[in-house]
Amino acid sequence: MHTKKAGIAFALVLSFLSVFSGVLFGAEKLNVVATTTTLASIAKEVAWDRIRIEAIASPKQNIHHYAPTPKDVFRVKRADVFIHEGLDLEAWRQPLLDAAGNPRFLGEGKDSIDVSRGISLLEIPTTLSRAEGDIHAFGNPHYIGDPENAKIIASNIAEGLASVDPENAAFYQKNASDFNGRLDAKIKDWKARMAGFQGIPVVTYHRSWSYFVNRFGFSVIGEVEPKPGIPPTAKHLVALIQQIKNKNAKVIIKEYFEENRTPKKIAEETGIRIVNLSQAVGEPENAKDYLSLMEQNIGLLEEVLSKQKGRVS
Amino acid sequence: MRLYPWIFFLGLFLFISTHAQAADPQIEILQNNMSQLQQAVQSLRNTMSDLKMTIENQNEVIRQQSIQISGLQKGPTIQSGSVPPPAAPKANAGFNPDIGVVGTVQAKLTQNKSDTEGNNAIALKEFEVNLGQVVDPYSRFDATLTFNDALEDQNVEVEEAYYTRWGLPLGFTGQIGKFRADIGKTNLLHAHALPTADYPLVIQNFFGEEGLASSGLRLKNNIPNPWDLPVEVSGEILRGNNGSSFAGVSRRPIFNTHLKTFFEPSADTNLELGWTTMFGTVNPSLTIDAGDGTTTEWTRPEGTDKYGVKLYGGDATFNWFLPEGKQVTWQNEIYFQNRSDSANSTNATPWGLYSLIEYKLSPRFKPGVRFDYVNPLEVSGQQGTTSVSPYLIFWQSEYADVKLQYSHTVYAGGEKTDNAAFFVVDFMAGNHKHAVQ
Repeated sequence: MHTKKAGIAFALVLSFLSVFSGVLFGAEKLNVVATTTTLASIAKEVAWDRIRIEAIASPKQNIHHYAPTPKDVFRVKRADVFIHEGLDLEAWRQPLLDAAGNPRFLGEGKDSIDVSRGISLLEIPTTLSRAEGDIHAFGNPHYIGDPENAKIIASNIAEGLASVDPENAAFYQKNASDFNGRLDAKIKDWKARMAGFQGIPVVTYHRSWSYFVNRFGFSVIGEVEPKPGIPPTAKHLVALIQQIKNKNAKVIIKEYFEENRTPKKIAEETGIRIVNLSQAVGEPENAKDYLSLMEQNIGLLEEVLSKQKGRVS
Repeated sequence: MRLYPWIFFLGLFLFISTHAQAADPQIEILQNNMSQLQQAVQSLRNTMSDLKMTIENQNEVIRQQSIQISGLQKGPTIQSGSVPPPAAPKANAGFNPDIGVVGTVQAKLTQNKSDTEGNNAIALKEFEVNLGQVVDPYSRFDATLTFNDALEDQNVEVEEAYYTRWGLPLGFTGQIGKFRADIGKTNLLHAHALPTADYPLVIQNFFGEEGLASSGLRLKNNIPNPWDLPVEVSGEILRGNNGSSFAGVSRRPIFNTHLKTFFEPSADTNLELGWTTMFGTVNPSLTIDAGDGTTTEWTRPEGTDKYGVKLYGGDATFNWFLPEGKQVTWQNEIYFQNRSDSANSTNATPWGLYSLIEYKLSPRFKPGVRFDYVNPLEVSGQQGTTSVSPYLIFWQSEYADVKLQYSHTVYAGGEKTDNAAFFVVDFMAGNHKHAVQ
């Protein structure tokens, strides 16, 4: 009796799925899922309204430690294109793909766009050991902080979308080219505004700003974390405070999701300023796209460094 | 009279004309000089522009070199997607399975006087070896082998080993092998991934000390719906020899389904709701009177009363993400059973729940508390076992943590209590990734 009921229920579920799957989601636009809001923003610049784009990780959370939700699995399962930052930035990427089981994104499928292709990577470890903290096997994956890299990302997205949707290839390429042109103009402006702070000593919380500081010519004298991903220890802070005093470092660059308590403690001891920057579109909320995000970062730094420049050590 | 002005103007005109003609060579010289000066200025401008460009190019070269130097100081620079980085081959070692290990050592102080496993002792609770790799373009495997140092039965156990096949018709994903049953939230977790030192009492009592893992088959899929809601359903047929609520007869399978959905009430919160339904066989022992005053307990090898155990459960997990990486989690699970073997097990409707709330207040610390109640399988009546367990997790790093827990338990009947303190160290190395729940 129970077997019959269970069989009927199972058959009903199967019928429901066979009727509705593919019908409900058979939309004409490409369903694109990006792992971060920043990639989603750049993809939007490239494809405008010809795709339906969704981002996975919340901009308010640490990209390394994001925990995918059932909604993310659902999104990836029905997606046509999956855009990710490659390398090992999103440690949760493979478990998410496994959970979604969408065959389009397995292996090096063309429907999966790795935007890191062609990026010059920094800080590639010569040996792999957790004694060095949460290091990344392929090099520092926070390359999106350098706006020059955003141009490569846009080109990669255009190329990837074009291979999935060849009919719109010219449209994607043109938009990517336009975006890169606008970015070029902004980069010139940002470099000019940062030119007065070349070589200025700064501290970062995590090693997530290496590309950004290289582009704009700051000098990183240390990190709040003793080693990547390792929470700060008292011993490390004593040494860092001394270093800040010796080298007259001007600012601690941190991201919004990183704790404030330790940087504040350092600031109290040294007078260094703390500045919250972001690599995720949507954090803060008025950073609506990549250009406004970077504009916000540059503006904040310009404001703080201008005040700090004249500070007597 | 009227001729004088004309003569005056004529004279003035002749005078100016004569002087103007006399000044022409000087103007020409001046004009030439001006022209030369303009050319010189233009030439200087061009030189300046060239010099500026040279300086900019030099700056770019210097910047690129400083990147190279910085890269060499912290590791070499390489272009992604071109030559593999020096260390990468080790991390991506061809076709071999990814390997990770996790150790859990537990020390426990308790009022319980019996000299059984874990009482007033330090023990290697578990040492897991995790293996996993893609098998072919359609599938992968995952396995967890567990070694333990239990007093009575030091052994190696296959905690999980299953094969996943993606892309089945209608978008189903199939899994076959031994796996942790898709029951609520906590049963899916391995011991080291728990926030607490032990599984909630209702999980221990209904499914076993480490929860329910069994050989079987699982199919899962998302149910399309007009509201664009993620609704995931999974159905499992499990071998019936596991789980303390069931017959313990292999040939009598356990049927399990789990349905879950997920909401985001705001940008900073989410809520996951789930429902579990299980059917299994009961197998009450029979007391046989030999006629000579002796009795024998006998259990039918094939079990009795198919689907005599009906188990239902609900789970709700609420997450609230706060600034600076802080997070509040409130997790609840409730289970109740309807059993046909009440005459022997003495409890026809056992039920239990737990509620856990925790607050991640910094990258290092997460305090929490778990409340347990279970009206267990073995005892009849309205009174059940209650327990309160405050705990604290300290992360030395992402790969090593320490858990401290105190548990105050009042057992069913209320006559017996226990106070226990746990000290747990978890450590992991290698490639260890948790499946998305």
